[in-house]
Parts: sequence; C-alpha cells; structure tokens
Amino acid sequence: MRKLLLLSIVLIFSLVLSATTIQFWHAMGGWRIDFLQSQADAFMELHPDIKVEVQYTGSYRDTLNKMIAGVQAGTAPHVVQVFEIGTQMMIDGEVAIPIEEMMEADPSFDIGKFMPQVLNYYRVNGRLYSMPFNSSNAIVFYNKTLFEKAGLDPNDPPTTFESFIDVARKLTVKDASGNVEQAGFTVSLNSWFFEQLMAAQDAPLINQNNGRTGRPTAAVFNTPEGLAIFEWWNAMSQEGTMINTKFEDWTAARNLFISQKVAMLMTSTSDVALMMESAETNGFELGSVFLPRPADSKAGGAIIGGGSLWLIDGHPDAETKAAWEFIKFMAGTEQQIEWHKATGYFPVRKDSVEKLVASGYYGDYPDHLTALLQLLLSVQSYNTNGAITGAFPEIRTVVTTAIEKMIAGEMTPVQALEYAEKGATQAIADYNEANY
Amino acid sequence: MRKWLPYLLLVPTFLIIVLFIYYPAVEAFRLSLYRVSTFGNKTTFVGIQNYINLFNNEQYLSSVRLTVVYVGLSVTVSIFLGFIIAMLLTQNVPGTKLYRTFLFAPYAVSPAIAGTLWTFLLNPVVGHVNYVFMKLFGVQVEWLTSKPYAFYALIFATVWKILPFNMIFYIASIQNISGDLLEAATLDGAGVMKKTWRIIFPLVSPITFYLVIMNIVSTMFTSFAIVDVMTRGGPGGYTTNMIYRLYLDAFTYQKKGPASAQSVIMFMIMVVVTIIYFAVAERRVHYQ
Repeated sequence: MRKLLLLSIVLIFSLVLSATTIQFWHAMGGWRIDFLQSQADAFMELHPDIKVEVQYTGSYRDTLNKMIAGVQAGTAPHVVQVFEIGTQMMIDGEVAIPIEEMMEADPSFDIGKFMPQVLNYYRVNGRLYSMPFNSSNAIVFYNKTLFEKAGLDPNDPPTTFESFIDVARKLTVKDASGNVEQAGFTVSLNSWFFEQLMAAQDAPLINQNNGRTGRPTAAVFNTPEGLAIFEWWNAMSQEGTMINTKFEDWTAARNLFISQKVAMLMTSTSDVALMMESAETNGFELGSVFLPRPADSKAGGAIIGGGSLWLIDGHPDAETKAAWEFIKFMAGTEQQIEWHKATGYFPVRKDSVEKLVASGYYGDYPDHLTALLQLLLSVQSYNTNGAITGAFPEIRTVVTTAIEKMIAGEMTPVQALEYAEKGATQAIADYNEANY
Repeated sequence: MRKWLPYLLLVPTFLIIVLFIYYPAVEAFRLSLYRVSTFGNKTTFVGIQNYINLFNNEQYLSSVRLTVVYVGLSVTVSIFLGFIIAMLLTQNVPGTKLYRTFLFAPYAVSPAIAGTLWTFLLNPVVGHVNYVFMKLFGVQVEWLTSKPYAFYALIFATVWKILPFNMIFYIASIQNISGDLLEAATLDGAGVMKKTWRIIFPLVSPITFYLVIMNIVSTMFTSFAIVDVMTRGGPGGYTTNMIYRLYLDAFTYQKKGPASAQSVIMFMIMVVVTIIYFAVAERRVHYQ
C-alpha cells in the first residue's frame, strides 16, 4: 500500500514538472546541425520548462516530404524549416498557423524590427505566414589573385553581362591541345540563378505580378531579359570560358572555385563565411561583387532565398505556445547575428544589422557587407519580391533542363527559353488543377 | 486445434505483408485514378486521365524509351560478360578463389555508394578515369554532364554493379556440368569456342533465363540510386529512366496521382515479365 502511494506521488510530481516537448525539423546539413542544436540548447536554458527535440531531416526537399507524410499520419513536428519556394504550397495545404495570428496575440513581439525586404518575400496577400529565419541571395565571388595574374584590375570586377564575358575570356587558360586548365566562371546549374538574374533586371517570372496579386496561370519569362541571361550563359559555355556542373551541384561549383580552377563563381551568400575561410587556406585573395546584368537593362535587385520557420497546426495549445517562443528566439537579435557570422545568411532583423554595424564588423568582413548591401540597395517591386507559386519545384527543373539542352547545343537560346516557358506554364497549370 | 494453428502462425507474416505491401499497392492503384493536392487535402477523381496524360507526355515517353535501351544494354552486357568471366574463373588457375572474392566485391556495395564511387572516378577535373585519358590520349571527357557519355557512364556503373551476381551464378552452374560431356566433346574434336558456346552455354540456359529476369528487375527498380547520385537524370533529362521519373513526380513535384499511375505501369510490366518467366520456366527448366 505504501509503495503504491509512493508511486502515485512520484507520478503526479513528474506530470507536474514534465516539460512541454516540441519537435523542430530542419534542413541545414554538415556542421550547421551542431550549430542549430547549440541554439536550441541555449533556448532550453532560458526556458527550462520547454524541451526542444532538434532533428536534421535531410535536404529541403526531403524535409518537405517528411513533413507532408507527417501531416498525413498525424505526427507532424511543431516547427519545421521550409525553403522559400515551398511557401505557396504550405499556404495551400492549410497545415500551418500563420505567424501573423501569433503576432497579433503577442504584444511583446515587434515585426517592425524585421527587414522589410525579407518580409516582402514571405508576406503573401498581406499576411505573414512563416517566421523568416535563414535568408540569402546570390552574389559573385572572384579570385583577386587570379585577376592580377591575368593582368586585370582586382578591384574592378565585371558588373555587366558584356564585360563579364570579356573578363571570363581573359581569365581562361587553355593548354596546347585546347583543354581548359583554368576557366573564367562557374555556377551550380540551378534555376535559382536564372530567377535572381531576372530580378536583377527587374523582370517578372510568372503572371499576376509574380503571383503576388492573384493566382498565377502562366510563366512570362520569355522576354528580352530572359533571353539576355540565356545568351550570356550560352556564350561563355560555347567559348569554353565557363565550366558547367551537373543539376543543382553546389559542391562541384564551389570546389572548382576553391581549388582555383575557376576565377569567378556565382553562388549563395550563405557561403560567405565558407568562402572567406577557403580563400585563406588556399592562399588567394577573395573579392565579391553584385550580380551582373546587361548594360542597358533596368536596375532591379536581389530576391530572398533560403528558408523560414513554420508552425504546424494541430498540436495542443501549450505546445504551440512553446513552439512560438522557440521560433521567436531563433529569429532573435543575438541568434541572427551569430547565424550571420557563422554562415553568411544575412540577419532578418534590422536591430541585428544595427549592432553589427556599430561593432565595426563589416569593416573587417567586406564580403559580408557586399551580400547585405545588394539586398538593401534592391529596388522593391513585385519582380524583386520573388515569384510565388506551388509549382516552383517543377519550374526549377524545367528551367535547368532547358539550360542543359542549350549548353549541349541541342537548342538555341531562343528555343531553350521558349521550351522553359512552356514547361513552366504547364507546371503551373498542373499545380493549379490539383490544388484549387 | 490443428485446423487454426497453422493460420495463427501465419498471421505475423501476413500482417506485415498486408501492411507494407498489399495496402500500399492497393493505395497506389486507387491514387492513380485521382488528382491529389500536395498535402492530400484535396482529391478529385479523374478516371484514367493520369494514364492518358502520361502517354501524351513527351518526357515520360522518352524516359520509357531510355529505360528500354538502358535495361536491354546493361542486361545483355552483364549476362555475356558474367558468363565469360565465370568461364575464366572455372579454369583452375592458381589464385582463382582470390579473384572470385575480389570480383564479387561490387555486389556487396550499395547502389548509392557505387554511384558515389563512380562519380569520383569520372569527375572531369580530379577523377582517375580522366587522368588516365588525359595521359594516354590528351582528352578530357565530361562523363556525367554531357551526351551521350552520361548514358555510357550509367551503363558502365550498372554493369559493374550487377556483374558479380551473374558471375557467381554462372560459376556454380558451370561447375555442375558433368565432365563426361566435355570430355566426350573433346574426343570428338570440339575446340574451346565450340565447347563454350555449343555445350556449356546451352546447358546453363535455365540460369541465364533466371539471371535475365533478375537483372531486368534490378535495372528497372534499383537503378534509382545510381541515377540519382551520378547524373540526377541529366543532362537535360537525358538519363531520366522510368523509376527516376517516378521519384521526381512523387517526391520532387508532389504529383501523387501521375506518380501512382507510373508505379502501376511499372507493376504491369513486372507482371508481364513474371508471367513470361513462369510460363517459360515451367516448360524449359527440366533439362536433366
């Protein structure tokens, strides 16, 4: 009898003291797994009553698939990181609690402290659905040492398509039998760069103002702006001044640049920290510059890439509240500063930037500044806010396929662009049919 | 007591099979008749529209064509190569056992690892294959990113991967052939070529038949990992075979209806292959 009493006392106590447990799924591989775990640990120290189970669930696409399966099976996590192009999908799936709702109920939270450029991407129909977390865009890194060797001014990197082609030519070294020993330029074969270069010219990808003022029904990038990008890409590929990688192979492109096989690289700003470190260990001087665009084009800007944190619906209120505390923490001033320094994803908050500027950080790390300035100096329009459609994953494949066909010589830039636009329109139609 | 005990003992197995094989299979059939939204919250019955769309889809048809060539080529090559290597390994040369062990190694490697291995070897800049090519012929080949080399690379890796399986089966069956037959042939004046192709190869035909079926299954279904790791279906969708197309539609584009329809089509193909196998095996396997 006494044992039973003791047992029940223990049980009651453990129930009262038990922490609210929430799950957080993310897609940040490599050393960033440990980094996010340490952030969660810091959060748990501040909130001893909340336990966060952090889980790395593979790439963005894998994470999305696991979450979809989890939602259908009723085992979805509380917080999940979704890539930017999954935004419309998540909204259409009606599985998340819009952050806007949580914000309104929580007076301690001030959205005014967030960067408008970032909010403009994630706000759909005037509503903020997810918490901005890791944001990046594309920039060009270049090897100043190789620039000097080629007799180019290391402080005058190319900023137009025309000069870019010219500089790439000068940076290319071929051996006697015509094999490329050093190339001018490389980029991971990824539609994201096409999107970024379109925004740099302030041109739209899909109709309904990039899907921002209504449901998009067609792709609209078969324009002079789109053609300029395809022709630029094609010109360098055919001349052999550019090395192409396989589909979405970020690592290959990065390694070509780090090993100094290639003098210029277009990649994500989330690689800034990695690039600075690699340049130092490999003994070359690193430079960074905004995305190039045709000399006669309109000035645009950078689109937000990366991911945001979603609150999945269907959990008990206490857990949802705990999850809200957690995502507020992850998007907090200090966390965003640490995240920025460690990776290159820029802070999604103004007060983080303020602190960084005050501490003189950008004087020491000019490449971080390039990444941030490109975003801050961007024209804000529907075109630079980025297209929004659930068909994005397929559109990306269609665009890269078209580019591959073009660089293989199967299609001219004109044909490839037409092929890409047609395929993208079909993908949008398919998505709309299935989801509305 | 006697009557229901056997059934009771079957229940655990049956439960697992139903849960993990029959239920998903039936579900795939059902979903192939629907249009399903990303999160499955909206489903519309569309009849056989998914199938009609597939057969009007140029990308899908090209993946079917590629699969036919890919399966045909890699199965043929690995059957013949497997047989020839097995012949060599049954010649009682010293160290045969060591060779066998080494040659069997690729089979023990998982397809994803095999793909990664070949990706390293075929890397245009730092890969060993190109290093040799560069030294010998002074050319650089972009194995995984250009046409038609990406396809050759895929065939090569696939053959490398399934060859040991065929080899082992052939070794076993060649060793089973009675020495009398071959001695008699030698006395009749048959040369090595004649003995190999007129006596041994026909005698192992049931094994060949079995291997062809097994190879078709593995090249159709398990080639996913090799394609995903080596080429990701590129360049420009050129090496996207049926199983990779299915993966793309199901898990990259979230088109569950069309993806289910594709899995049903693959299922039908396997049904046909299995029927042929049983029909032929029934009639022809009894050779002794």
